[in-house]
Amino acid sequence: MPGWEELFYGVFRALQLIFSGDPEIARITFLSLRVSGAATLLGGIIGIPLGATIALRSFRGKTIVISMINTLMGLPPVLVGLIFYILLSSTGPLGFLHLIYTPEAMMLAQLTMVIPIVAGVVITSTSGIDVGLREAAISLGADALQEVRILLWESRLGLLTALVVGFGAAISEVGAIMIVGGNLLGYTRALTTSIVLLTNQGEFVEAIALGIILLALAFLVNVVLTCLQMKSRSGLFAQTRSTKINRKVEV
Amino acid sequence: MNLVEMIGVSKSFVDKAALKGVSLSVRRGEILSIIGPSGAGKTTLLRLINLLIYPDEGKIFFEGVDTEGSEQHRRTLRRRMAMVFQHPALFDASVFDNVALGLRIRGFSERAVVEKVDEALRYVGLSGLGRRRAATLSAGEAQRVSLARALVLEPKLLLLDEPTANLDPPNVAAIENVVKRVNSDSKITVVFATHNLLQAKRLSDRVAFLWMGELVEVGETSELFENPKDERTSLYLSGRIIY
Amino acid sequence: MNGKALPVIVGALAVILITLSSPTINLSPSRSRLVIATTTSTVDSGLLEYLKPYFDSRFNADMTWLYLGTGQAIAVASRGDADILLIHDRVREDAFVNSGSGVHRVTVMYNDFVVIGPKSDPAGIKGCTNVTVAFKKIAEAGEQGSAAFVSRGDKSGTNALELRMWAGADVSPRGKPWYIETGQGMSPTIRVSNEKQAYTVSDRGTWGKLKSKLGDTLGLQILVEGDAALLNPYGLINLNPTRYPNINSDLAEKFFLFMISDEGQGLIERFEVSGQQLFFPVFGKPESIGLPSEKAEVQFWVQKLREEGMKPPSWIQSDSQVPSDRV
Repeated sequence: MPGWEELFYGVFRALQLIFSGDPEIARITFLSLRVSGAATLLGGIIGIPLGATIALRSFRGKTIVISMINTLMGLPPVLVGLIFYILLSSTGPLGFLHLIYTPEAMMLAQLTMVIPIVAGVVITSTSGIDVGLREAAISLGADALQEVRILLWESRLGLLTALVVGFGAAISEVGAIMIVGGNLLGYTRALTTSIVLLTNQGEFVEAIALGIILLALAFLVNVVLTCLQMKSRSGLFAQTRSTKINRKVEV
Repeated sequence: MNLVEMIGVSKSFVDKAALKGVSLSVRRGEILSIIGPSGAGKTTLLRLINLLIYPDEGKIFFEGVDTEGSEQHRRTLRRRMAMVFQHPALFDASVFDNVALGLRIRGFSERAVVEKVDEALRYVGLSGLGRRRAATLSAGEAQRVSLARALVLEPKLLLLDEPTANLDPPNVAAIENVVKRVNSDSKITVVFATHNLLQAKRLSDRVAFLWMGELVEVGETSELFENPKDERTSLYLSGRIIY
Repeated sequence: MNGKALPVIVGALAVILITLSSPTINLSPSRSRLVIATTTSTVDSGLLEYLKPYFDSRFNADMTWLYLGTGQAIAVASRGDADILLIHDRVREDAFVNSGSGVHRVTVMYNDFVVIGPKSDPAGIKGCTNVTVAFKKIAEAGEQGSAAFVSRGDKSGTNALELRMWAGADVSPRGKPWYIETGQGMSPTIRVSNEKQAYTVSDRGTWGKLKSKLGDTLGLQILVEGDAALLNPYGLINLNPTRYPNINSDLAEKFFLFMISDEGQGLIERFEVSGQQLFFPVFGKPESIGLPSEKAEVQFWVQKLREEGMKPPSWIQSDSQVPSDRV
């Protein structure tokens, strides 16, 4: 059966590529990680306060805004890519930035997809916070910013989930970065765009090998984030801080 | 000058009126119990005093200052009081961090925070529980942590909204003791909402009876219990208004 | 809630972010990048990858390419997002130059198309020397329900050629139940044909590569080849530097010269996949495959090559020098 053979050799080839330290594969992998990592972090920095603000404030049209964000959570990557291509194209309105076919353009496109995903998950998780807790925070004298910080801390598991989901969407996305990155060899070629190229070239084994590297990468990032989740569950920040204080007191 | 002065305060929520034209003074240093059946408006009254909600009509003065104004103004006043809710409303963090929260909000140094939190925990009989996660506490412990979280702020006014409603007798006693002690030792004024008449009798200097959003009667504890002036008060005290 | 944790976390994130978004570790910072907008066939066949080290080392450049269908390649180039075009659709190539977006166009090489189909050949086109007749037969068999045709349907050069064939056969296949459009590249399209046991048109290179890869599982074979109408010439077009001031026009010209030089044409000639030559150099002699002469362009570029100290391909030496000597 040729199908099974390709899958088997794909796994084998993936291990070979990982352990041989092929510089081209390393560069492609690093680019994927860099672009999607930056998009996720920036998406978190923008999407978390955005989602929290929408969830915690009451204003006219809130339902419509939430529906819009939920819709944008399913933005087709190809559409995002095309819009950014038209904007960033040398002769486009933002052509003077010279961003077309750069990792930065890829990051921007992914950021656009990550923000609504993060904001959407944050809205869901912070809306679930007991109103009693919000009132307690205000009663304790918190100002608006402190209240948001307290409630974000309270929904920190949801925030990590938002980042996990956002990163997963970014690293596995191909439609947008293919168009705005151009899949330039050694410059904007990422794991997913390589997979598309190799598939079109009929190099199925190599394509599967890269796919496995992609999965391994996503798995690693998820393990790290899940460990963080577990630790924060057991009061990571409280622990480190109170040990620090105990030391201070002893002095 | 009274600590809190409420003049003709009304508040209604979407479906029904919660308070109707309530005028009430809270004297400095006293323990004032608010009694009345569930739904009488006790919680609304406390939330109004804590400046968590705005009155629709009427005025509330705190330490002689009009509480109406910007959110910042109200926050400044709110930071001189503390409230304990019927449900402990603890955050998903350690006991220490929960008790420290109000101090950190006020910008106290960590050194001061440690000292004050330790003292507050000792005061409610929970020394050594600082590192426990709030979620692992029993109901009684949680409510005492919630009380410590309020006391650590050394408020002028302590508002307690049926804090013992869901607790077993030993924890009820522990909390009542703490309330009495802070009132006598630190001269903290206490407003205590309860539907437990015996508790009101045990704790308070004065009692206010709230019924269907109306302040029916206020008086010295013994006076009100033994000599109610209003017919509705006597009906309630004799258990004939069932809540 | 924790007074100090939040700034620390934000700080840590910022540090990670800055590290992550610092410019790519550029292995060749001094090298200038060339972006070629080209079609799937030159990439899928491996031709550009094969040429890259020669070009890069000779001009200290970093040759890259955008892997696009001809339609998208032209759209991208006409926005100034590529430095040079290497495509195969003569009608649109000429339109691109006539619109002023392109300046010079030469036919640089060619390969040819083949009509492939199931070994059972339900339309009976095997050995047909006239591709128009073959297409008519496929359409007839299709109408009878005994054959199907898979089209790229992606406005690629291959797709354009296929549509010309249908027009020549006086058939409008779109929307017919036997006519399947994939909207994908050549290899996926051949695979679809294989699954559906249908006819399709492929460039010889991609077909050869896939055939050697798939071996026995491929139930298709070449049925029609050799008709002049199936020739597939590739045009090299440099862009108008006045219209697109941001493109790397210097390096684009270097690439142009490289491709038409003796070295480039020789490299193309020697490029093989599975022992089969895929592209045939044809700069300066389009007449040899029945195309119109490009005398003016050829003379211009031969002059350029000499100015740059590069050698024109061997067949030009005699051809163009003889007339100039006689003048």
